[in-house]
This record gives sequence, C-alpha cells and structure tokens, in this order.
Amino acid sequence: MGLVTRAVAMVIDAALITLVATIVGVGVALVLALIHPPQKLDALIAAIGGGVYILWTAGYFVTFWAGTGQTPGMRVMQIRVLTARGERVRPGRGIVRCVGLVLSALPLFAGFAPIPFDSRRRGFQDHLAHTVVVEAPQLSVAAARRAQRRADYNPSRRLPPPAPG
Amino acid sequence: MAIRIDSAPRLLLHGVGGLSQRAAAASVQPLRGVVGAAAEAGVELERRAVDRLIESRELERVLTSARVQTAAAQVLESEGARRLVDAFFDSGLFEQFVHRLLDSEALWELVDRIADSPAVTAAIAGQGLGFADQVGEEMRGRSRTADAWLERTAARFIHRAPKPPPSTEPETSPG
Repeated sequence: MGLVTRAVAMVIDAALITLVATIVGVGVALVLALIHPPQKLDALIAAIGGGVYILWTAGYFVTFWAGTGQTPGMRVMQIRVLTARGERVRPGRGIVRCVGLVLSALPLFAGFAPIPFDSRRRGFQDHLAHTVVVEAPQLSVAAARRAQRRADYNPSRRLPPPAPG
Repeated sequence: MAIRIDSAPRLLLHGVGGLSQRAAAASVQPLRGVVGAAAEAGVELERRAVDRLIESRELERVLTSARVQTAAAQVLESEGARRLVDAFFDSGLFEQFVHRLLDSEALWELVDRIADSPAVTAAIAGQGLGFADQVGEEMRGRSRTADAWLERTAARFIHRAPKPPPSTEPETSPG
C-alpha cells in the first residue's frame, strides 16, 4: 500500500500509543507525587519510564502485526502486513520490522522514501523483514466465507486471512 | 325410623314429581343433542365462511372498492368526523391519557427494558460504528487518491510505467 495510507495509519497508531502512555504517565506521576521519592532516584525513574515506553511501543506493533497482521491504524485504513510469501508475520519477524521502522524513521524518515518507487511498495523495514503491506478490505462474514471457499477450491491461490467484522 | 301418617301423600307427590321430571328430561335429551349439533354446525359454518372470505380476497376487494373508499373518504372528510376529533381533544381525555401513561410505573419499566434490549443497544452501537466507518471511508478514499498521485509522480520522475493498483494478495516470489 502507498506511502500516504501507511503514514495515516502510523499517525493513528502514534496517537493511540501516546494517549495510553500519557494516561499511564500521569497516573504514575500522581502516585510518585504522593510518596515523594528521593531526588537521587529521579534519573532511575526516568530511565525506567523510558524503557517501559519503548517496550510498550514495540510491544504494540509486534503484538498487532503478529496477532492479526493489523494495528488499529492499519485496520482503519484497511491494510495488512504479511510476509512476502503471504503468510502471517511471526513475532520474531515483527521485532525485526519494528527495528527497521525505527531505523527508517531516524534519518528524517528516509527509510520510507522507497515506497512510491518500489514495485511492491516496500520501505526499508519491509526489505529488512521481508514483508509487504497489502490491501485488506473488511469483509462481511459471508464474503469472508466465500473467499475462503474459493481459496480452498484453488489451493494455488493463497488468500490473506480475512479481517473480522 | 317412624314415618308420619300425614307425610305419606307428600312423599307420593314428590315421587310422582321426580318421575315426571326424569321423563321430561329423557324426552328433551334428543332435542338438546340436536340443538347442540346444530349450534356447532352453525359455528363451523361461520368459521368456514370467514376462512373462505379471507382466502378468496373478497374482503380485500370490498375494502379496496371505489365505493367503499369514497364512503370512507366522505366520512373522514365530513364535518361530523372533525367535530368528533375536536370533541375528543376538548374533552381533556387525551391529556388525561398521557398524564396517566407518564405516571404509570409500567411505562418506565417498559422504556428501561427496551433501552436495555440487545436490539436497541446493537442499533445504537451500529449507528456509532456507522459514523466511524463513514469517517474511515472518507479518509481511505482520500489517502488512496494521494497514493495514486504520489506514485504517478514517482513513476514520471524515474521514467517508469505507473504501478498497478494494490491487490489484497502479495506476489508469491520472495522479496
């Protein structure tokens, strides 16, 4: 899928991640304000907070990619990440893709630049993890069953798992 | 048990009376059966007649006939009908009905039950999702258009044919 669609999906995901992190961060800050930890622990608390944030962000992407192939943002934009062979992304590959995503974003998002030019619309993270992002229209239950029947009838035709709902 | 002499004629009369009653009942018995059978037959006949009337669509034909329609229209448009409606509302009966209805616990229980019913909650959720879907669809449409424009520009930039629209299936060759 194209760069703009993927960027919109990423913005939705970033908004969700930040919203949850902010709510949790405010909650933790309120609790810490009550117990008044010593000042020398401030650096440690900040480091733990940073680590938890990184884990939360990576966990969010890896869990959704490995679970349904779609983050909530991708669900809204009706796109899905699969391996280049059309299989579901496993957690290991998800972690590699997540690292690739960070590396793509670091040099002023240059890692995403190949997407409009690549024949399969792959960015650096896709090249690194051997993944592709495809259209994933939301099928009704009946349409999903029809597609599954067609795929079963013709085994050479591999379909991505239908999106629920 | 001693029987008094003066009660003997009364006993005799009582016995004769009972005998005559039984005789009358016995003589009427066939008649009662006939009347009952006739009544049942009448009810059955009426039921069949109603069934036939409904099945034959005669009732529909009568009700939709121009004459009945005209008569109904005349009645509804008549001054009498209007006066009847005015009289109904002027009487305060409607207000009383509404006030009684609003005061009734059963009404609010019914409202609560309907509000909690799966059908209503599903309808409300569906309406919310419908709006989200609408927004999502608009966003998807615009982003796809922007994608197409960007890819056309990129293809022009590197002098290559534009890419086909994205499919739901990845190519089978490994990337």
